[in-house]
Amino acid sequence: MPGPAFRTAGPGETGGAIAPPDPWDPVVRLTHWSVALAVVVNHFVTRPGSAAHVWIGWGLMALLLLRLVWGFVGPHEARFSAFPPDPRATMSHLADLVRGRLRDYPSHNPAGAAMVYALWITLAAIVGSGLVMTGGRSPIAIAEEKAAVAAGDWSVLVDNAAEEGERDRTDARIAGELHDVAANLILVLALLHVAGVVIESRALGRNLVRPMIRGRSR
Amino acid sequence: MSGADGKAGRGRATALASYLLVQSLAALYFVADAIADLEGEPLGPHTVMEFLVALTLVAGIVFAARQLGRTLERLRRQGVALEAARGDFARLVEGQFESWGLTPAERDVGFFALKGLDVAEIATLRGAAQGTVRAQLARIYAKAGVSGRAQFAAWFVEDLLDGGAGRAPD
Repeated sequence: MPGPAFRTAGPGETGGAIAPPDPWDPVVRLTHWSVALAVVVNHFVTRPGSAAHVWIGWGLMALLLLRLVWGFVGPHEARFSAFPPDPRATMSHLADLVRGRLRDYPSHNPAGAAMVYALWITLAAIVGSGLVMTGGRSPIAIAEEKAAVAAGDWSVLVDNAAEEGERDRTDARIAGELHDVAANLILVLALLHVAGVVIESRALGRNLVRPMIRGRSR
Repeated sequence: MSGADGKAGRGRATALASYLLVQSLAALYFVADAIADLEGEPLGPHTVMEFLVALTLVAGIVFAARQLGRTLERLRRQGVALEAARGDFARLVEGQFESWGLTPAERDVGFFALKGLDVAEIATLRGAAQGTVRAQLARIYAKAGVSGRAQFAAWFVEDLLDGGAGRAPD
């Protein structure tokens, strides 16, 4: 026999009221996957210092800035106020996870929020150090320079070297170290992030990846 | 739910979000270019204009993002309200069926009838003979004191039109 033709909304069916939104809003989804792609491509595909590498780095910077704006003007669950950094809540959430007693949060859970901020800070360090290394020159300027050098005109390099003082060169070296360290750190964090999503998905008995892609299929 | 409406709204939101993404890239490049120009040459009309363009672009992005955020928030609120209204309506119908003293089987048939299914469809869904369903419908109408299906449905629609889906049945 079929169930009643009408039914009242069961718990969790409204979505977003108690559980994280399903799906996440399009800006969150687009920036999330674009950032992931940019990190993977710049780490494994492009040659460091190449125009493509700098282009993608600039794209990453734009994504970060857009997400920053979105954190203030986006829908409730995308705002920073919905998932403030809170180390104490993070620890108690992890303790809940170990004990197997998870509860739902309207946005990122406290451990997820801590990871989000860690990722953002590391990404900002990567972008910032990259900017120092390239002297803040835009990817188009860099591409033009490379084209000039390839054509045999080395004067641009001399001009750049003359502009750079001793301090600038030290800055660039320190920035280079930071860039390397942060680039490796972001991979470690990304792996931890994926592990966290898998563990939480299992503990909650709910796929947490799907809302970041498409949302519920009806 | 308002199926098509919600889906179209979400599709538009995704398109807008993609547009925002591209816009941010363009704006970032323009801002950087303006700053680089400022370093190279003293503040001239060219640089001032460039700064104005860059500023306008950035302001446009912030406004568009804010608008999109509000639209998404409204879409979600509508979904929740609709869900709630639907729940209210279902409760109203259940309460009314109860007060008419319908049996569980009659309640199911009543729900299907309200949803607009015809006798043959209800019979298939319930795995019953059409005659049984017709008899059940007749009993439902008798208990409700209505002449037929149209009046039966109108009984609930009237409540909705009065604006009080939660109004207590008298």
